[in-house]
This record gives sequence, C-alpha cells and structure tokens, in this order.
Amino acid sequence: MSTLYPAALLAHAKNPYGSNVIEQGKEDGEALNTGCGDEIRVVLSWTADGCLEHMTYELHGCAVSMAAASMVAKRLEGKNRTEIAAMASAFATRLGRTGFEEEWGDFQAFNGIERYPARIHCAMLVWQAINQVLSKPKKA
Amino acid sequence: MSEQAERSTKHTGFDPAGIRSQFAILNRDIAWLDNAATTQRPEPVLVAMNEFSRRHNANTRRSVHQLGAEATAAYEGARAIVAGFVGASAPEEIVWSSGTTAGINLVASGLARWEIGPGDEVWVSTMDHHSNWVPWQQIAHKMGAKLKIIPLTEEGGLDLQAFRNGLKARRTKWVALPWVSNVLGRVNEVREVCDAAHEAGARVLVDGAQGVAHLPVDVAALGCDFFAFSGHKMYGPMGIGALWGRRELMEQMEPLIFGGEMIARVDEQTSTWAEVPYRFEGGTPNVAGAVGLGAAIQWVQSLPASAHAYVADLTKQAVEGLSVIRGVQVWGPPAERTSLVSFSVKGVHAHDVAQVLDGRAVAVRAGHMCAQPLMRALGIDSAVRASFAPYNTQDEVSRLLEGVLAAQELFT
Repeated sequence: MSTLYPAALLAHAKNPYGSNVIEQGKEDGEALNTGCGDEIRVVLSWTADGCLEHMTYELHGCAVSMAAASMVAKRLEGKNRTEIAAMASAFATRLGRTGFEEEWGDFQAFNGIERYPARIHCAMLVWQAINQVLSKPKKA
Repeated sequence: MSEQAERSTKHTGFDPAGIRSQFAILNRDIAWLDNAATTQRPEPVLVAMNEFSRRHNANTRRSVHQLGAEATAAYEGARAIVAGFVGASAPEEIVWSSGTTAGINLVASGLARWEIGPGDEVWVSTMDHHSNWVPWQQIAHKMGAKLKIIPLTEEGGLDLQAFRNGLKARRTKWVALPWVSNVLGRVNEVREVCDAAHEAGARVLVDGAQGVAHLPVDVAALGCDFFAFSGHKMYGPMGIGALWGRRELMEQMEPLIFGGEMIARVDEQTSTWAEVPYRFEGGTPNVAGAVGLGAAIQWVQSLPASAHAYVADLTKQAVEGLSVIRGVQVWGPPAERTSLVSFSVKGVHAHDVAQVLDGRAVAVRAGHMCAQPLMRALGIDSAVRASFAPYNTQDEVSRLLEGVLAAQELFT
C-alpha cells in the first residue's frame, strides 16, 4: 500500500508547486481523466528566448495526479519546447514501465505504480494537458 | 467473527456465515463492499451456468434436436422466473438484454424516438445514472425535444413539486428515473412520479438496477411502463439483464438488432418480425447468462426477510460510523436508504481513500459513479461508496471505518 504513496509523493501532493495560480491570456491546455472525472488546466508562460518561465495549473484530482503536476511544474522550468516534448516521452516510457532512475529525483516516488495500473492515468494527466499546449500552433 | 458482529447477528436474527460459504470468491481476503457495482455469485448460480454448458448447450427455438429442446426449455424457463420475479402478467413481457443499459437504449431508440418530436419534453432526474441519462439526452436532442431534469430537494430527495409543476400535458412524452439512486441509496417515489406522468399522458421507464437485489419488485405497484435491470447487481452473471414492458407498448416498439432469430419471414426486399419479445432478441442469445440470472433470482427469493434487515442494519452502522468521523460528509438523506452509503473525506480525494482501503483489503467504489450531473448538484467531483450484501459482516464495516481514518491520517 505504502508504495503508491511514498513520502516524496505525499509532500508534493500536500503542498503542490505551481498549483492554482492560473494566469490568463497565456498558452493553456486541459485534460480530463475519463475514468474518474478529474480535470486539470495548465498554463505555460514562456521567456523571450522560448524557455518555460513557469507552469501553473488548476487541478481537481487525487494525490497521484497532484504530485505529478507539482513535480513536473518544478522540473520543466527553464526548458524549451523541444526539451519538454522529450521529457514528456521520457516520462511516459518510465512511468509504470522501466521506472525512474536516480537522476529523476522525486519522480522515483512513482516507481511501483505498475502495481496500481488504474492509477497510471492519474500521473499522466498533467502531461496530457501539457501535450495539448505543445500541439497548438505557437502564439506570436 | 468478532463480538460486535455476533451482536449484529443477534440483532437481526441473521447469520451471514451461512450464505458466505456459498461464495467461493469470499475465501480471498477481500471485504467486498462494491456490491452496488457488482455482486458476487453464489454457488447455485455458478452450478446452473456450468450445468447448462456441460449438459444442455445448444441454440434455442430453431433447433429440432434434443439439446435444442433442453436449451429452449432452460432459456424460456428463466424468462418465466424473471416474469414472476417482477410481477409481469406473462413471460412474453420480458425481453432479455445485455443489461440495464441495453434495455433502456432499446426503449429510448426503439419506441420513445418515434413518439418524440420538436417542442416535446423528456424528463430524467438529477440522480440518474449515465445509463438512464445519456440515451434520453441523445434521443431528445436528435428529435428536437427538450431534456428536463427533476431537481433535488434540499434534503436530497426528488423535488416532486417541481416535477408536477413542470409537466405539460401532450408535450411531456417520456420520464425516466431510478428506483434507487446508485449514489444516494435513496428509494425514490416511483409510484408518485408514474401517476403524475401518466396523468400528463407521458410514459415512464424505471431503472431498477439498484433495487432488485434488495426490495420486492412489483411493476404493477410501481406503476411504470418499462422496468430495466441487470443480472450482475443481483448475484447473477454480467452481460445479461432483462427489460419488462407493457405488452401494448412492446407491440409498438421497433427492434434495433436485425438478423437471425428475430424475424417471422424474410423476402428479398422486406421482412416481418417475430412475435414480441423475440423480435427484440436478434442473434444467438446469452442462454447461459439467462440461466444464471434465473438461478440468481431464485437465490434472492430464497433469502429470508432477516437478510434484508441485516443489510439495512450494516448500512445503518456504516452511515452512523462515518457520520461521527470529523471531516467526513455522508451524502443523501439518512432515511429511506437501501444498501449503500456514499461519502467524501475532507482534504482527501475519493480515489486516494479507495486506494488506502484497497491496501487494507477493503474494496469500495470511488469516482463520479456514472452520475456526473448528480455530483455537480452535490458540488463535488467524486465520492467514495460502500455498498453491502448479506454476505458482508460487521467486522468489514469496522475495517471500512478504520481505513477511512487511516486515509485521513496519511493525507491530512
């Protein structure tokens, strides 16, 4: 049981980084977990040179989706679109599959989620919204 | 069994151990409190289905051989059991379906859509399951009709006054409602809704899925025109259910599944249909499922009244136990509740509560429970639901309450 909720995951879930500070007029994307109805809207704001200044989000979701959003918001700052897209696919290949290596830090809290297949969607929710932003035509 | 459980047994005079032993799956270390989603199957149901496959498997009705005759007898015998169970006048008033959803869709698309036109109104209730909401929503939109919703009262019941006030003679064509809410466990005033709807000239379909395992069924007393339910929520198999309908309305209903078994005669350009109900059962049917549902009904009918009192008692204990936990909100009116309780834990997502409970081998439902409009009316995204059957024990109720406390401790 405790493997789905290690301390690092709970820390993010209880005090999520970047949550609920939605800025209007920036690039945003939404995702819905059709299994449970959880919803997220993320807003990405970029620096002049095309790097992520910060990501904020509004999430109605469980501890797993909250922790994922929090970790991702922290990790993506300063990365450009290409790097974020690469991280999205790197995340997806590790989550519930190969697991996260040491250099992924807090993300290692998701190692073991493969024992809870119903919850993999929860951790992917934030990425679905981010991918939606990235697939939109870039704002001028 | 714990001392507490024994006290509960004495209280209702019912001993769950006697029927628990009929459920092989309960030998696993799982407190199954997800009965409103799917009940487990007792040995007599498994044996009946197995026996059909081992001894009588064949196509029904069209076969000349001995096994065909036996399969037909088993299939039609099960139909007669369903007819007796719901209080139908004749077995021909029963259509086999794959479940409640399929039964509702048959009525909505096979009959209602031909009766609904632009400017007409179709009603559902705030507490309907998506299976009794989306078919009516879609038919109403396709036919240019308006979908109206019976609101909730402040106490969490159906606002019958608002419904009566909103009914329009000759404009309100169909009304759909659940007998028992799958989220609130509330037994709705089906008779009152039916009487008011009929007075306005409307027809009524009742989703009986959450009632059939716990309440005596009598379609005449309910006063509805159609009644749909599933096997798997009353100790029967998945993939089988039944629809009861008034004979004269069944005669007007169009089949939706065309093919073998449902025709009278096929010519190159035209076809005529078999008699009701066979015209609604195109294709090779789920005979083993029908046999299993028949056996499940007989099993339910064999339960003593004390079994139902016992389930009500377990539910009451759960409601009371949850209500005194600080930060737990129990949804739905306390009275007229059947066998389930839905609740929210402040600061803890429903899925996380359910996950913690699962870690303690207590299986509950969590999420929107296929009732998103109701969730919005309650002002929540999701909830946790524990639902009970006569094989559950007071010890399992205690484990539920302990698990909720553990979830609170972990997340808050």
